[in-house]
Amino acid sequence: MALLEVKGLTKHFGGLRAVHDFSFHVNPGEILGLIGPNGAGKTTAFNLISGFIRPTVGQILLEGDDLVGMKPYAITRKGVTRTFQIVKPFKKLPVLENVALAAFMRYRSRSEAEAEARKVLERMGLGPKLSTSASDLTLSEQKRLEIARALATRPKLLLLDEPMSGLNATEIDQATRLVIDICKEGVTVIWVEHVLKAIMNASHRVVVISQGQKIADSSPHQVVNNPDVIAAYLGKRSNEHVVR
Amino acid sequence: MKHLPVVALILLFAAVPWIVPVPFFLHLVIMVLMWTVLGAAWNILGGFAGQVSFGHATFLGAGAYTTMILYLKLGLAPWYGIVAGGIVAALIALPIGFICFRLRGPYFALSTLAVAEIVRLVALNWESLTAGPVGLLITTLPEISFFGTPVNWESKTPFYYIGLAIALGALLVTAVMSRTRMGAYLLAIREDIDTAEAIGINTVRVRVAALSLSAMLAGAAGGFYAMYLRYIDPDAVFSISLSVEMVFIAVVGGLTTVFGPLIGAIFLVTLGETFREHFLVGHLIFYGVFMMVAIRYMPEGIWGKLRLLTGLRH
Repeated sequence: MALLEVKGLTKHFGGLRAVHDFSFHVNPGEILGLIGPNGAGKTTAFNLISGFIRPTVGQILLEGDDLVGMKPYAITRKGVTRTFQIVKPFKKLPVLENVALAAFMRYRSRSEAEAEARKVLERMGLGPKLSTSASDLTLSEQKRLEIARALATRPKLLLLDEPMSGLNATEIDQATRLVIDICKEGVTVIWVEHVLKAIMNASHRVVVISQGQKIADSSPHQVVNNPDVIAAYLGKRSNEHVVR
Repeated sequence: MKHLPVVALILLFAAVPWIVPVPFFLHLVIMVLMWTVLGAAWNILGGFAGQVSFGHATFLGAGAYTTMILYLKLGLAPWYGIVAGGIVAALIALPIGFICFRLRGPYFALSTLAVAEIVRLVALNWESLTAGPVGLLITTLPEISFFGTPVNWESKTPFYYIGLAIALGALLVTAVMSRTRMGAYLLAIREDIDTAEAIGINTVRVRVAALSLSAMLAGAAGGFYAMYLRYIDPDAVFSISLSVEMVFIAVVGGLTTVFGPLIGAIFLVTLGETFREHFLVGHLIFYGVFMMVAIRYMPEGIWGKLRLLTGLRH
């Protein structure tokens, strides 16, 4: 059975069809890449799944339970945790506290929550930065903090919203390896990304969304050769327009 | 050893009525203690949780009226009334919280202002319960003896110790809360409410809990106000100026600190009285100038600044 199954997800903002009749699923243990041109509806899809906005219609089934209408915190408690594209750390708080706050969801006592936070931060290469204020980290570190915070809630499904944006080539390679490792440890990942190279290397399967609708759903290799996908990213040739 | 300065401070406060048995001075310190509680109440919500309320007089007034009405109508002694006042204020905070916390930031702040005005108007017009603008008056307090000595309610001393107990309680509540998960969650909400939701924090429930705790302290202070001044009317205990004063004390003292409200109350109450004494007309101008200077040069508050300079934790 799919871990998450999205059926006919639709969100209209007034006349704008941000996401329209969007259906896909993710299998347990998978890294699912979600790509699409700017404004395609990727982040809206994330906001819908994580409960930050309510769909106009559609179902979001986590192991068969519908998440629609649940508040973001309740969805996180069900095991679906997101990161934000524009990082949103608790700026004035130390790195350790940022992650311990997330670990408090599973551990009531401060010492246990902090121990869990240390473990996750060590794992994300932020071990030496525990007492630094989150606002003093580099962007690459803040991106990792964003993932560490999400992992500390022990999610079944991790929603990564463009974790690579703004990183340099070396950092992208590191981060890609990190995502693959996270998945190997048993966390299913849906990964929205603009950096196609990274997503092509890491994903088991790729869903392409354009103008709010799904236009492809297949292996990374097949997706890059799909004419609809190429058209969505690069535009159609003018003579093709005429022929069609 | 770590707590030595705190113990010394408590002993010093406990000895004040012996050291300076001057009624006016005792009155001043009693006001400082009452405002410490109110500042601490506001600090829990406005400082730790970052939710600015301009309507905290609601809870002060609710506590004051609860204490008054229970004593005048049912004969319940005001010291129990203070506890009841805290509980009633905490309960009133629940529906207010669930309604107002649907709003964020400045909209929440405005809604608290609106609620406070509604409550004041209700108190003004519900004459069968509150006697409306006429107000309520306690003529005599119940006789009681403390370790065999009858308590003299005409002296300031018993009020001083009741006020001191409530103020210590308020600071203790703040200190304990700041170490719990609840305290940590409040800071998370202050820093970024979306992120707080995303890591599984029920931000509405946590904010309502903070408001209720805050209201409980303000309500207890209100009960004390009623018992000490023995007269209340809606404009005295539900006025916006009281709500604003709580904000000032918490901010000038130092938000998110344990002792900030005490420091804020010491400065603002004494300054207020001094200016009133020396400049009968326009004393509020000086008060305002002090506020501006304090906020301009010490945005972290007096205690907050000291804490930064000395590396203290609370």
